[in-house]
Amino acid sequence: MRNPVVITGIGLVTPLRPFDGLQAFWEALCSGEDAIKRAPAPLLDTKKNWLMAGIDLSLRPPKDADPGNKLFVIAEAALSMALHNAGLRNATRPAPLTYSSLLNVGLVTGTVLGNVLLKESRLMDTGKGNPGDDNMESLSSLRSYLASKFELSGAGFTVSTACASGTDAVGIAARMIAAGKCDVMVAGGADVLSDFALLGFSVLQALTDDKVRPFDRKRTGLALGEGAAFVVLESLSHASARGAGIYGSVLGYASRADANHLTGPHREGRGLSEAMTAAISDAGLASADVGYINAHGTGTGYNDLMETKAIKNVFRKGAYEIPVSSTKSMLGHSFGAAGVIEAVCCLLAVRDGIIPPTINFTEKDPECDLDYVPNEARNHEIRTAMSLSAGFGGQNAALIVGKG
Amino acid sequence: MKAVITGRCKLSSRDVEAALTRLAAGFRQVRFVHSLEKLTVAAAGLVLDSAGLRGPCGKSDIGIFIGIDNSIEDLKDQFFSAILDQGMLGASPMVFPFTSPNSLAARVSIVYDIRGESITIPINHSGADVIKYATDCIEGKYIKMAVAGLITMKHMALSAEEGRYEAEFYFLEDDKSARERNAVIYDCL
Repeated sequence: MRNPVVITGIGLVTPLRPFDGLQAFWEALCSGEDAIKRAPAPLLDTKKNWLMAGIDLSLRPPKDADPGNKLFVIAEAALSMALHNAGLRNATRPAPLTYSSLLNVGLVTGTVLGNVLLKESRLMDTGKGNPGDDNMESLSSLRSYLASKFELSGAGFTVSTACASGTDAVGIAARMIAAGKCDVMVAGGADVLSDFALLGFSVLQALTDDKVRPFDRKRTGLALGEGAAFVVLESLSHASARGAGIYGSVLGYASRADANHLTGPHREGRGLSEAMTAAISDAGLASADVGYINAHGTGTGYNDLMETKAIKNVFRKGAYEIPVSSTKSMLGHSFGAAGVIEAVCCLLAVRDGIIPPTINFTEKDPECDLDYVPNEARNHEIRTAMSLSAGFGGQNAALIVGKG
Repeated sequence: MKAVITGRCKLSSRDVEAALTRLAAGFRQVRFVHSLEKLTVAAAGLVLDSAGLRGPCGKSDIGIFIGIDNSIEDLKDQFFSAILDQGMLGASPMVFPFTSPNSLAARVSIVYDIRGESITIPINHSGADVIKYATDCIEGKYIKMAVAGLITMKHMALSAEEGRYEAEFYFLEDDKSARERNAVIYDCL
């Protein structure tokens, strides 16, 4: 018997109203606000303005984090917001958890590139290679920093599973609670825009120079974004005992490998189909119980077609009845943060009965023929929602949340 | 249900060419971009051999759980240093995908057709989290078997051919499955 797992706190910093809190983010998202703009690369002069969704740090309230380290600043702000939102941290005090029994709260953090801006600066300054152990470029340095800062001394680790990192982080934390290994976990993800990623995705010809148009016939690629998002997960019994507010439940999760190609998805969505099927089984649901899908929806030709095929493969005729939307059309692709942000969108969609839209949708693709909630949010009462992530290496993850 | 170890392999990047000759012909013909990739694929092949499983597996009940230390930073440094040297033309589409740490697990999944859970965990010193999570997944019945292990940098001053990297992999499965297929059990977890 697995312990029911609920989410009691949410914190995020995204390119949409970055430091204005959860409700401002959600309202902007549901109004179809596009955070993707043209801007120069962070460090290198590439003589080009790139389409991307960046976070303006000048909008943040004064904080004590190093203003030069964007990754740590946004991750710390998001994590602080999540703990406060869950009632585990007093907003006026800097670090300690205020709930006295929480001496063993764990932290699972997803990131793909970690502190890549520090690496870029070092290589530009010194040109030297690998700095070795215990350096701040290490992928696990973000988790170490946050765990120390917020006194999260319980179990956990860093997950780096490409664009599924955030979804996997939440799923892994939920499993720990479900198995009775702990009562409270914090899980999330963070990544920042970098020259490294811009040039890497550019050379793979994955970036659009138009609008991001997921599932549209004229889609031409993705735009990179950045962000940080964390959720507080608790066993239902623990949350109930302390009278915590509950956003919803984590009902099911699964990870699957395509075993097909390093950068391209399996064309029929084999791995994603298997992840969805396994997550539905893990949740003890039937496919017809899923009321909304927040798609990976990058806006690339291959991803969106693959994802559509995978959804049809799992839901059969029912696929046409399920609203499927891509919030990356507004937020860009924030790597390790994306899966957590999208899981939050699912939770809020279930809570409020509103499905966020896929914006910039102008022309139907005959092969992408599902209901993509084009351009306008929709009122739609649902009890469960599924967030999908797919990434480099044929990495796939599905997470199902439901009403609390 | 208890998880047991039915395969094991420890391989230095110094010995990877010799190790590859021990794999089946189809796997020896795989092309590699980076020495870390070659080491990971070779070590995974040897641990599957050690467990008595000859790929391709074609199964979604086998997972891959890989812990990697700062050795992955070598690939990132290689990618970005080339950009600094040559400008945008230095950005290699061959190297960039390998800067994502899960690329090594992905290559194992592709070469041996392993379709189950795939989790990559950056580690600093201990790989205990990797083995523990893989064990939890087996005991929680999310998967039946797992290739689980670590890629670490042993000597920063050495090249890959001299032994810069090391892989230490295990094959884990539930004890019932191991007994049913008469596998050698090296240890219980």
